[in-house]
Amino acid sequence: MAKSDSPMLLQGTLDLLILHALQRGALHGYSIAQTIHLLSGQALKVEEGSLYPALYRLELDGAIAAHWGVSENNRKAKYYEITKRGKKLLAAEQETWSRLSLGVQRVLARQP
Amino acid sequence: MPRLFLKLFRRRSMERDVSAELAFHRDMAAAQGNPIPMGNTTVVQEQARDLWRFTRIENLWRDVVYGARSLRRSPALVVTALLSLGLGIGINTGIFSMAVEFLLSQPSVTNPGSVVSLRLGGNSHANKEVVDSVRASGLFQDVVGENEEVFINWNDGADTRQIFCVQTTGNYFAALGVPIAYGRGILPQDPDEVAVLSNHFWRSRLRGDPAVVGRTIRLDGRPYTVVGILPADYRSLVGFGLSPDVYVPRYLDDTRLAMYARLKPGMTIGQAGAGLLTIARRLDQVMPGPFPYAQHIQAAAVGGMDRIKTETEMQTIGLFFITLLVVVGLVLLIACVNVAGMLLARGSARRQELAIRLSLGAGRSRLFQQLLVETALLALLGTAFGLMLRQAMAAAIELYKPPLPIPIHLHLTLDWRITLYAILLASFAIVACGLLPAWRSIRHSIAPNLGREGRMRLQRGLVVAQLAISLVVLTVGFLFLRNLLRSNAISPGFDVRHTLRADVNLPPAAYKDVLRKRAYVAESLRALAALPGIQAAAAARIIPFTDNTSFGSELTLTDTGRKVHAEFAWNAVSPDYFHAMGIPIVRGRTFLAGSQETAARPVVVNRTFAARYLADREPLGRTFFWGFDKTPVRIVGIVEGTKTLSIGEDPRPQIYEDLSKIDNDRARLQFVLRSATPPGTQLQAVRATLRRVEPNAGLEVETLYSSIGLAFLPSQVGAALLGGIGVLGLMLATIGLYGVMVYSVSRRTREIGVRLALGANRRDIAFMVLASAAKLILIGSAAGLLCAFFLVKPLAMFLVPGLRTTDPVTFVAVAAVLAITGLAAAWAPARRAASVDPMSSLRYE
Repeated sequence: MAKSDSPMLLQGTLDLLILHALQRGALHGYSIAQTIHLLSGQALKVEEGSLYPALYRLELDGAIAAHWGVSENNRKAKYYEITKRGKKLLAAEQETWSRLSLGVQRVLARQP
Repeated sequence: MPRLFLKLFRRRSMERDVSAELAFHRDMAAAQGNPIPMGNTTVVQEQARDLWRFTRIENLWRDVVYGARSLRRSPALVVTALLSLGLGIGINTGIFSMAVEFLLSQPSVTNPGSVVSLRLGGNSHANKEVVDSVRASGLFQDVVGENEEVFINWNDGADTRQIFCVQTTGNYFAALGVPIAYGRGILPQDPDEVAVLSNHFWRSRLRGDPAVVGRTIRLDGRPYTVVGILPADYRSLVGFGLSPDVYVPRYLDDTRLAMYARLKPGMTIGQAGAGLLTIARRLDQVMPGPFPYAQHIQAAAVGGMDRIKTETEMQTIGLFFITLLVVVGLVLLIACVNVAGMLLARGSARRQELAIRLSLGAGRSRLFQQLLVETALLALLGTAFGLMLRQAMAAAIELYKPPLPIPIHLHLTLDWRITLYAILLASFAIVACGLLPAWRSIRHSIAPNLGREGRMRLQRGLVVAQLAISLVVLTVGFLFLRNLLRSNAISPGFDVRHTLRADVNLPPAAYKDVLRKRAYVAESLRALAALPGIQAAAAARIIPFTDNTSFGSELTLTDTGRKVHAEFAWNAVSPDYFHAMGIPIVRGRTFLAGSQETAARPVVVNRTFAARYLADREPLGRTFFWGFDKTPVRIVGIVEGTKTLSIGEDPRPQIYEDLSKIDNDRARLQFVLRSATPPGTQLQAVRATLRRVEPNAGLEVETLYSSIGLAFLPSQVGAALLGGIGVLGLMLATIGLYGVMVYSVSRRTREIGVRLALGANRRDIAFMVLASAAKLILIGSAAGLLCAFFLVKPLAMFLVPGLRTTDPVTFVAVAAVLAITGLAAAWAPARRAASVDPMSSLRYE
């Protein structure tokens, strides 16, 4: 797998980011990766090697739904869409994430 | 669930999609000037494929393959499991099949749930006119009648034999929808001389030739046309495997009929009973009979659970089967413990393998699953073998001919109920055999330092439980064996060693007249008494155990005017009956021949009758009126009682009438003969004599000893079944004990070697092993005796009076049997322990 300078994503975080990226509407895999890249201020880079397995897993879990469509440059592309279940999952993950990051920040803010 | 569907339906397109999607991703990256990812497409595809797999099912399959492979390496375990579980499940499904056949089977009619049996005035049978009136009332969709109590004489061209016949009303086959294998059923418009044959009769006596349909057979000397053959799995309305040989239209004017009705759609049995009551009240006014019809009305189901609710005999049979099922369930438990013991031993041998797999990251639940899958494979093998045993058992029972005067054929088919029961048993076996060993193995692989002795303690505990259960099973079996011995020792109240009987079925048409019957009896008795070696000859309506007639009537005593309701067994006999049967006359006399008899209607009663109903005064010479009859009945003699139907029954009041004075309406007659020579030697002469007197009569001659077989049947069946099951349970428990002793000796080889090296006596070593076995047996027996004492109490209802379930003899004997068998099983391991070579055992491990 390609090495990258971007920080390693915590397990499960990628799911959260994908779901968040899909909130605005259906996207294909490449634009999901691009969206995350842009939204993170180019800090995070999602490898296809982790993106697609995550997408398939989410699809099997019923958090997102996939269908074939035509891309902006007139090519066949697979589009992903968040489902109701996915929205619920997103809310829950967001909650978990904010608690976690808050906790981590607090810990790091103080001297032991 | 949705995941499963997605996987099922989209799996094939998945691979194609993945590569297309990845190609698109790269093209996009290239087009936008981003670095093209160097990622390996194959890896992504692998990962995707992993996601799409049926992981669980595939793991399960892998476990099955792995389990089968590892079981192949331990044939001893497989054979033990196959035999133990196979025998256990085989006997369980076998007994369950019998219970289903006896208790829940439905007669072969269309929609048996809507067929009910009807009783008016508490009588099982009614006149043809009554049946017709009920039918004409329109309350039911249809009403049919059958008389299932007749033997008919069948002449096969060479000899005349009695065969079991059912007389039916003309609409019987159509209204009930009786299935027919060849030909057709009897139709209302048929003439009287048509017959439908049972499959068994057709196969065994007519060589199973389908061309028999349309041919003529001779019944009671008249030609009958065979119109149809019943199917092999036909079940009659009476049930209990009763398979009459032939069905014919009702041919005697005075034949009474058991009434069956088909309910109208939507009608309940309760409504049927209520409607029937109205009809019975009207009948009481229009054509009053000897009993009021409107009393003891009954409409009852002919099969299934509803029948069990109404019939008390069914309840007794049901309780017997529950007992059997509990006992064989215990046997299966013993068998499961055997397998569990072996799996425990195997688990400790495999500890290393499991520990390695755990440390390589296998999940505990995955290992647990794998161990249970192995057990499930064993259970599957055992169940398959068990069902094969059941099939063999069913085939044997179908061929077995019980010593009964009526044809009985049981069809123990392997239907969905039996299959479901087998699946339940197999699941139970998996849990009982596998759960504990699997849990143990994994726990010990995680924490290998837990004491080894602890595991041995668990195995010992299992063996103790097994011994205790086998003791309970053995106690039940032993009780029934004692019951058989006890009932064999009970005297039936008459002589069965020097007597023989002849069962005669006269052709009814020729003997309609009572006087002709009387003349026949007189002539036969004269001819029989003249035979050399015959000391006495008598005729009777009924020979005990072969037939039975009971009354419950109101008797009015003429001297005191008191009315008593008496329940008694009835018989009509010729004067020499008591002498021929060896029934002692206590007081008074027997009937006098011809005109010497002074009483208009003389009777002889037994002691029980006198004690129960006539105790207020001297019974001899007393007179009473029987029901509405106008002729007074006079008691001329008092005799000892006999058993009437079963050997274990309580003494019953009995009345004998003079056969030459009653209005004998039956074509069936019996003779009993007392012989100075062994009765078996007289059979030919008696048969020839009676054949000469009436060549057209159906005739069976046998010794009385062989004809009372019916009386011993319940105790024989009970002893054979439960005794056999008890032995099986003991055998399985012994195997379990043996296995544990062998295992324990093999584990202690080193210790024994050290002892021997330090100078221990070999005899002491053997004794040490035997003592540890004895300890297990002792604890097991104590626990088992305690359980058995309480558990066998309800069995008293199946035992002959006088045999108490709490009798200490039973328990002592059973415990002794268990102790001897158990020590015998420990003998071989003890000898092996004693012959350990100290040098090689110290090098061991």
